[in-house]
Amino acid sequence: MATVQVSEAEKLYVLHGVRDDLRVDGRGCEDYRHVEVETDVVSNTDGSAKVSLGHTNVLVGVKAEIGKPKPMVPDEGYLEFFVDCSANATPEFEGRGGEGLGIELSNTLVKVFSNKHCLDLKSLCISPGENCWVLYVDVLLLQCDGNLFDAISMAIKAALFNTKIPKVHICEDEDGGKEIELSDDPYDCVRVNVENIPCIVTLCKIGHRHVVDATLQEKACSVASLLISVTHTGMVTCVRKVGGGSLDPESIFEMTETGKRVGKALHAPLMELLQKEESLGSKRQKVGFLG
Amino acid sequence: MPVDRRRIRGPDESQSPYHFISKESQKCLASGDRRSDDSQRGPLDIRPIFARCGLNSQAKGSAYIEAGNTKIICSVYGPRETERKDETDMKSGRLVADMRFAPFACHKRGAWVQGNEEKDLSLGLLESLRPGVCLHKYPRSQIDVCVMVLESDGPALSHAVTCASLALADAGIEMYDMVLGCTVRHTGTTQLLDPTFSEVQDDQDGVFVENQGSVTLSLMPNMNQVSGLQSDGVMEQESLKAAVQACIEGCYKLYPVIQHTLLKTVRKNAPPSEN
Amino acid sequence: MSPMKLCVPGERLCSTEDCIPGTGTYLRHGYIFASLAGYVLRKNEGEELPVMSVVKETETQLLPDVGAIVTCKVTSINPRFAKVHILYVGSTPLKDRFRGTIRKEDVRATEKDKVETYKSFRPGDIVLAKVISLGDVQSNYLLTTAENELGVVVAHSEAGAQMVPVSWCEMQCPRTHAKEFRKVARVQPEYLQA
Repeated sequence: MATVQVSEAEKLYVLHGVRDDLRVDGRGCEDYRHVEVETDVVSNTDGSAKVSLGHTNVLVGVKAEIGKPKPMVPDEGYLEFFVDCSANATPEFEGRGGEGLGIELSNTLVKVFSNKHCLDLKSLCISPGENCWVLYVDVLLLQCDGNLFDAISMAIKAALFNTKIPKVHICEDEDGGKEIELSDDPYDCVRVNVENIPCIVTLCKIGHRHVVDATLQEKACSVASLLISVTHTGMVTCVRKVGGGSLDPESIFEMTETGKRVGKALHAPLMELLQKEESLGSKRQKVGFLG
Repeated sequence: MPVDRRRIRGPDESQSPYHFISKESQKCLASGDRRSDDSQRGPLDIRPIFARCGLNSQAKGSAYIEAGNTKIICSVYGPRETERKDETDMKSGRLVADMRFAPFACHKRGAWVQGNEEKDLSLGLLESLRPGVCLHKYPRSQIDVCVMVLESDGPALSHAVTCASLALADAGIEMYDMVLGCTVRHTGTTQLLDPTFSEVQDDQDGVFVENQGSVTLSLMPNMNQVSGLQSDGVMEQESLKAAVQACIEGCYKLYPVIQHTLLKTVRKNAPPSEN
Repeated sequence: MSPMKLCVPGERLCSTEDCIPGTGTYLRHGYIFASLAGYVLRKNEGEELPVMSVVKETETQLLPDVGAIVTCKVTSINPRFAKVHILYVGSTPLKDRFRGTIRKEDVRATEKDKVETYKSFRPGDIVLAKVISLGDVQSNYLLTTAENELGVVVAHSEAGAQMVPVSWCEMQCPRTHAKEFRKVARVQPEYLQA
């Protein structure tokens, strides 16, 4: 993982600040950095979004392809996650350097989405046992400044909101064989219901308190962090301790509570923003990359 | 790849026929106080555990653990010279954890090469163990922990953590505390500690159960510190809290057994001479 | 005598007011905790307080530490340094292989600039050395033989016989009586146990 070196004096400075609810960049312990979301940024995808969270920048593209449903669940489609840690974000990722982090991130995303609550997978089914939609969710890290999980989860939610799956009809020919027919109208498409898709909140334990949306510098001061994925109703779909340290049970309870509160509050503005952008249509102002 | 043409090759992807049995015949979820594995345990009891240290004479330390049908073996090698020298921090040692499933361990046959899920479990194992090991005492060196799941019946990570910490202690690696693992399955309002495979299976009947999930936790009992926490499923925060508490209690139930196992191993060898 | 007390890692042994922490223990919040599974030993070593340590039946794994006397085998030499494998730390054999380097400057204490490595060591020699540094990312353990007691203890001549030291810088083959150059150690009886 991309890391920065922090001296003991800097650590103490950050620690004392967090104790008094004032962080290096002036935020309180439960404040996010400035978030920017832009959808429909890559034309070749079925849905895409770019999220920048301070200096963390991620791009998510969703591609829908027709595949064969898994034999255990013949009437559902599925999602595939891939996180690419390119050397763009930090030179440490060059070669195979980012592979470990990429696997960690994509495995966590699989865990976060591995329940029936998040996404109605049945809506991705075309014909049971034969064809279904497979949504390939590809995440690209453009800039890294801590808190990748939160940025990625927001970007995925935005990209899935933006995803337009073309409408298909199944028609039978004379021999009884089935054929999939794509609608002629390119605007004739179905949307994915993203209401229940969770957002990940990462809480870093610094001293006796915890902060959300830690920068790399703050992350270097914390021994352990807890990531919690929360839906808009406050349901928790995944919890994970990351980092080499340990936490005492009491602080875990506090952290999950904060995580739930912060995560719940994250959804409404995000959805509002996405809806607003959608309604503007082509009139909206394009920001572009790293803008 | 050259193909042996004399041999009739099976389809690329094959399925075990047992997947298609109706779920009703397998289903025997806990009703009342009895658990599915037909033992006498209640919902908040862990499975009886059999644990032994020092089976693998080649390794520095090793352990075997058996809980119901879950069977796990672990070996610890090192401290030895690090292979990778690009680590900037040479002051403390490196812990490397590797968790694998035997191909026949689960219902579905697995591949010999490590899959993504195994890599994820290895990471979870590493992060659970690392807070417990005094790595600063092993500068410039590396300690390898290899866990092999021989048979899996229910979540294996928690038992793998317990087994690995036993093996580390057997290897004489200095540790701040033992690390114990425990899993709890939460469904609706019921909690099942140390669930079996059939108990963690989602109800496939299409009925969506609110508030269902599993929590795996690793605890250092003497320090009362949680070194690892993972959960999946959909749960309310209150249930999560209850599940974490149940896991911690489960770990404390496990501790005397693990302690006894270790002491037994120590006692097997002659005490040091008094001088 | 009562049976000796056993402990597992993480067990609280006693307060620092009663004992001094020894090997196999660590300190936390003013208490001594065990970091190994083994026997608890309380030893009076002339200090005010007894030393509390935990001992495992087998020797605990030692790692070469700065200042430790190690026994090693020379694997290769070049004009600048000799590469060695560390075999023993003190009198404890190592299970795994650790590599070390004896630089030309660290072979002897005097006339460092005139040292020639191939007149000091040959591959296969058994050498007593002291660890001076754990080395950095690129290098291995750095060792020195710049003491009278350190240097070659066992060496074989070109004829294959084990040589006997004749001076601090020469050894002689008992079969051919040919003399070869070595940085010879004046072996101290306490090191001979290894």
